[in-house]
Amino acid sequence: MANITCSNIVKSYGAFPVIDGLDLSIPDHEFVVFLGPSGCGKSTMLRMIAGLEEVTGGRIEIGGTDVTDMPPGDRGVAMVFQSYALYPHMSVADNITFGLRRQGVSRSEIAPRLEQVADMLGLSPYLDRRPKNLSGGQQQRVAMARAMIKTPKVFLFDEPLSNLDAKLREKLRTEIRKMHLQLKTTTIFVTHDQLEAMTIADRIVLMRDGEIEQMGTPDEIFERPASHFVADFIGTPAMNFIDATIEAGHVARAGSIALSLSPELFPGLVPGQKVELGLRPASMDLAAPDAPNAIGGTVVLVENMGAEGQVITQVDGAEISFVTPQFRQVRAGETVHFALRPDQIHIFDPETGRSLRGV
Amino acid sequence: MGRVISATLARGLLALLIVVALGPILWTVLGAFKELRDIVTPVPKLLFEPTLDNFATILRNPTIRDGLLHSGVVVSVSVLIGAVLGIPAAHALARHAQRFGDDVQFFVLSLRFMPPVAIAIPFIVIYLDLGIYDTLFGLILVYLITTISTVIWLSVPAFERVPRDIEEAAAMEGCSPFEVFWRFSLPVAAPSLFGAIVFTFVLVWNELLLALTLAAQNATLPVVAASITSLGKEVPWGVINAATVVLVIPPLVFIGLLMGLLNTSVQSGRK
Ligand SMILES: Nc1ncnc2c1ncn2[C@@H]1O[C@H](COP(=O)(O)OP(=O)(O)O)[C@@H](O)[C@H]1O
Ligand SMILES: [Mg+2]
Repeated sequence: MANITCSNIVKSYGAFPVIDGLDLSIPDHEFVVFLGPSGCGKSTMLRMIAGLEEVTGGRIEIGGTDVTDMPPGDRGVAMVFQSYALYPHMSVADNITFGLRRQGVSRSEIAPRLEQVADMLGLSPYLDRRPKNLSGGQQQRVAMARAMIKTPKVFLFDEPLSNLDAKLREKLRTEIRKMHLQLKTTTIFVTHDQLEAMTIADRIVLMRDGEIEQMGTPDEIFERPASHFVADFIGTPAMNFIDATIEAGHVARAGSIALSLSPELFPGLVPGQKVELGLRPASMDLAAPDAPNAIGGTVVLVENMGAEGQVITQVDGAEISFVTPQFRQVRAGETVHFALRPDQIHIFDPETGRSLRGV
Repeated sequence: MGRVISATLARGLLALLIVVALGPILWTVLGAFKELRDIVTPVPKLLFEPTLDNFATILRNPTIRDGLLHSGVVVSVSVLIGAVLGIPAAHALARHAQRFGDDVQFFVLSLRFMPPVAIAIPFIVIYLDLGIYDTLFGLILVYLITTISTVIWLSVPAFERVPRDIEEAAAMEGCSPFEVFWRFSLPVAAPSLFGAIVFTFVLVWNELLLALTLAAQNATLPVVAASITSLGKEVPWGVINAATVVLVIPPLVFIGLLMGLLNTSVQSGRK
């Protein structure tokens, strides 16, 4: 087990830098998720920590040891690939134990460890099979067992669940999380799925174009997004964005919409300032027309999501959606009112996209 | 009902194709065990008294015996060296040659563009000067051009089909680049590599022109087989058939051996 420190990491393919001066520090035992749209450099970052990709500049330390120039096998890390990367010419048991056998660990020592990880991941009945005779979920479990049995200092996962169907993905996600609670091994998990990141992470590192956009716990990322990009990326249904102007008395106005804002959260706002409001559909609900911060709109569409429904409305020609459990009473074409608390309003600088939250 | 008919038709067609494909071979094999008068009868004979005379003639004939031996040595050595040098080269090309990989591959292929006649004459001159004309060593040397280039050309795609992730996973477990090649890339690519080697083997086993021009005295089997027709006035059909069988058997044995090797090497992953 170990902490990981990356300082001033640069990675270029040819002249084009994919990652440009990235600093990151991951404490021991933490489950960190690299989240971001595809192509933002998550895999590249992970592969540099694994040692599969050379850094162009910067240093990487694992457990206080500088591993920047070490081959992957010497770093004490284990990786699980999106494609599972099982050895097709070996049985499941041999796949799992290859690393230990290669290190010359004795058979009598390997057997109980194999039994333990196979039990933990439910692989005991399949140990003699070839990987190609297993389902996708079983194959990914074998890949996890292969990583676990070596008791590495760090686990690296590169989109391990992307090739599985939704149901299995959820199940394995829970298993990975449970496994981490039990083993407490420092883990980096790469995904482009924000829901997966939110449910599994101790901390999320949200990346964009090779830079860290925001780093924090899932709650911090969700409740206090540092920028328009983060707010837009996290949460389903996606946040509504509205251009507005600040008026006297900490009120934001956009056409027929007038929302009173929290002076504590946004002390720096001045009348006349152009801002971008961010309203999460999930933080709004149906309200009386005269309720504080009520917004009136014409219903365009109601989407049934089971326990709740998303209501998409038209307000001054733009679409705003909100989520309500009472969506069954709402009909398209009706006029509805919905509202949210001032402390749930996000405000961004329309130029830089950064949050204007004061604290 | 329609399904049954189409299935029967398909089977019938398949049987016909097999007969067409294997018929001549079967006839040759039968002919190898026939006496000449059984072969030249106007009515083809399926039932006859088998004889080993033809094989005896062949194996007693020193030219043919030597030809078999020469072929065996020349082909196995050149294919072996071709595989030992060509397969690692192909792996390196498939994995590491990003910038000039295509050029190198094209160069390798271009070695096969030249008609053998074009190189045969200069080679005679060079070999005479070097004193290796009409030696097995000289023949092996030119065959290496064929074997190495063919093995490389056919093995690059085999290694490209090995998922890179597998090699990376092995590297993560501490394997050196050579170990990754030896214990992972090679066994995973083995079935395709096997095809490459068999193809190369057959290519040089049947090679006639260079063998004829560069090693007329130390003749290989194709050279001998080509000259058998002039053994006597009367065309010795039985002997020719037997010679064909002898010519065909080594590649078959070779393929069988490689198959066995392949199966054990795939299983030895367990260790
Ligand atoms: N071997 C490579 N050669 C050139 N560009 C690459 C290579 N690998 C990745 N890239 C580029 O680096 C960027 C980041 O890639 P990657 O880390 O795989 O993204 P992610 O995993 O976040 O989807 C992408 O723009 C990709 O095109
Ligand atoms: Mg990726």
